Amino acid sequence: MIWLTWRQFRVPALAGAAVLGVLAAYLVRLGVEIRDARDGYLARCGAVGDCAGAAARFAGDHQNTLLILAGVFWLLPVVLGMFWGAPLVAREFEQGTHRLVWNQSVTRRRWLAVKLLVVAVAAMTVAGLASLLLTWAASPVDRVADDRFSTIVFGARDVAPVSYAVFAVVLGATVGLLVRRTVPAMAFTVVAVAAIQVAVPNVVRPQLMPPVTVSRPMTADAVNELRGLGSITGRPAVRGLTVPDAWVTGTSELLTADGRPLDAATFDDCLTRPPRVGARGLFGDTAPCLGALDLHVDVTYQPRHRYRAFQWLESALYLAAAGLLAGAGMWRIRRRVN
Amino acid sequence: MSPGTSPPVLHAERLTKRYGRRTALEDCDLLVPRGRITGLVGPNGAGKSTLLQLACGLITPTSGRLRVLGAAPAADAAHLARVGFVAQDTPVYPSLSVAEHLRMGERLNPSWDRSLAQRRVAQAGLRVEQRAGRLSGGQRAQLALALAAAKRPELLIFDEPAAALDPLARDGFLRTVTESVAELGASAVLSSHLLADVERVCDHLVVLRDARVQLAGDVADLLAGHHLLVGARGVLDGLPAGLEVVRAEHADGLSRAVVRGGAPPPGPWTVEPLPLADLVLAYLAGHATEVIAR
Repeated sequence: MIWLTWRQFRVPALAGAAVLGVLAAYLVRLGVEIRDARDGYLARCGAVGDCAGAAARFAGDHQNTLLILAGVFWLLPVVLGMFWGAPLVAREFEQGTHRLVWNQSVTRRRWLAVKLLVVAVAAMTVAGLASLLLTWAASPVDRVADDRFSTIVFGARDVAPVSYAVFAVVLGATVGLLVRRTVPAMAFTVVAVAAIQVAVPNVVRPQLMPPVTVSRPMTADAVNELRGLGSITGRPAVRGLTVPDAWVTGTSELLTADGRPLDAATFDDCLTRPPRVGARGLFGDTAPCLGALDLHVDVTYQPRHRYRAFQWLESALYLAAAGLLAGAGMWRIRRRVN
Repeated sequence: MSPGTSPPVLHAERLTKRYGRRTALEDCDLLVPRGRITGLVGPNGAGKSTLLQLACGLITPTSGRLRVLGAAPAADAAHLARVGFVAQDTPVYPSLSVAEHLRMGERLNPSWDRSLAQRRVAQAGLRVEQRAGRLSGGQRAQLALALAAAKRPELLIFDEPAAALDPLARDGFLRTVTESVAELGASAVLSSHLLADVERVCDHLVVLRDARVQLAGDVADLLAGHHLLVGARGVLDGLPAGLEVVRAEHADGLSRAVVRGGAPPPGPWTVEPLPLADLVLAYLAGHATEVIAR
């Protein structure tokens, strides 16, 4: 059964290996480049006496590349689910070959189990190798920027990509078992995996452990540390509030001392026609205007030391979901077929 | 196990299969003994394919029960090894070569007979390095048959295997079926809507129509138990007890009736030979009497 599964899976597996080869070569080159750049910064900063600044510039130089790579890693489970998972069972139905293979002396459950296992192990290998290389290549930047614990980069480091890949191929195979046609199964898998990969980092991950909530007074200085104020709906929202050594998962609107959102008119006044005091800073006169209102925001965050725990927790979640899907497929293939 | 005590090849009890509101098989009771080549005949949609797919466990009954070789169909790997199935349109893996198909059979069947498989493939004139996707319909059917036979099953099931083949390929295929069954000492069940094929290969017959079994038995018994009577119109109304008209045709003042029962006594009729095909047609026609106007 393993031989047959491998023989059928050979072409997609080789295609995957070729893509992995290209990606791996690029990641190794990137890793070497990043290390050269870091050594260059370290060599020069001693003379100037601004090593912290040099390190920050070094990290900034590479963060865009690493963000793009995180996007590529985000696509990886989508592609694996589509090309490795969805056709696995659907193609057998489409070609009618399930009627051939199910009449060999192998039970359908064993047939499905071996197929799932072979493809899951292949997906694990590809995602594991890619993640290992990116984690290595990015480690000098990660050490400085320390932003692995976040919505985007988190999914492109350490074990998380492995669990995503396994989940995606099992999902694709199970969808194929239900839909029984390859192209619709592929389409559905792409949509489902993409949706889950958006929902989990934004909705599920912040809740994996109870977040910490703090209240931050919004002084004029605090306002100037923000990246943005307001929203298109006119609500007194703030953007870009950071907490040291933490992944900020939620920020409230500007709240007055009694805990209610700042009314839109006052906020708009400070934003568009603040009293002129000639203040400096990103937001100019707006900052002291807001600062004088005794405002605060409630911030929820996950401390950065939870990163490892979150990696394992989220991986366990995906693997458990993959297990459930495989179980449902096993049940289905025994109960109702053809 | 001797044929007398071993469980029958197929044993259906009130077997029913519905697809939504359509009934494919209804309350079928059927007992197919061992050691026969059974022909399953009936028009398209009569439930032949449904019965055979139930027999190899590809689908499950809505109600009732079907035992194959004394056990539930496709119950476990051991039972799967005892039944060889050649599905309709004889599916094979297009990208795998003939040799790889044999390798698959060897890996997936503990009772695999390699020399039988190679012999069958060679006899069918298949080149082992050829991809199965490039084979003709007849060659594909031969490959599917070789795969099913080399398991050395006790029962071979064929679902309309020759339906899509040209006459020459069909002839070759049917010959291989007979040879394989004889070589294996197996029983076989094959469905077909082509009466000539069934007549040529089978020694046991099951006629399906409108989701029900109309007739079942050994061909010799069926022929001995049915006769064709020809007489003037009306004389067939006075048949002696024990004879029953299956189907009668009236034309030009002459009646021809297929009757069931013992040998008809002498009377105002003549007894003519009844070919198997006409016997089957008498059961396949939906109504008992037909008046042919000329």
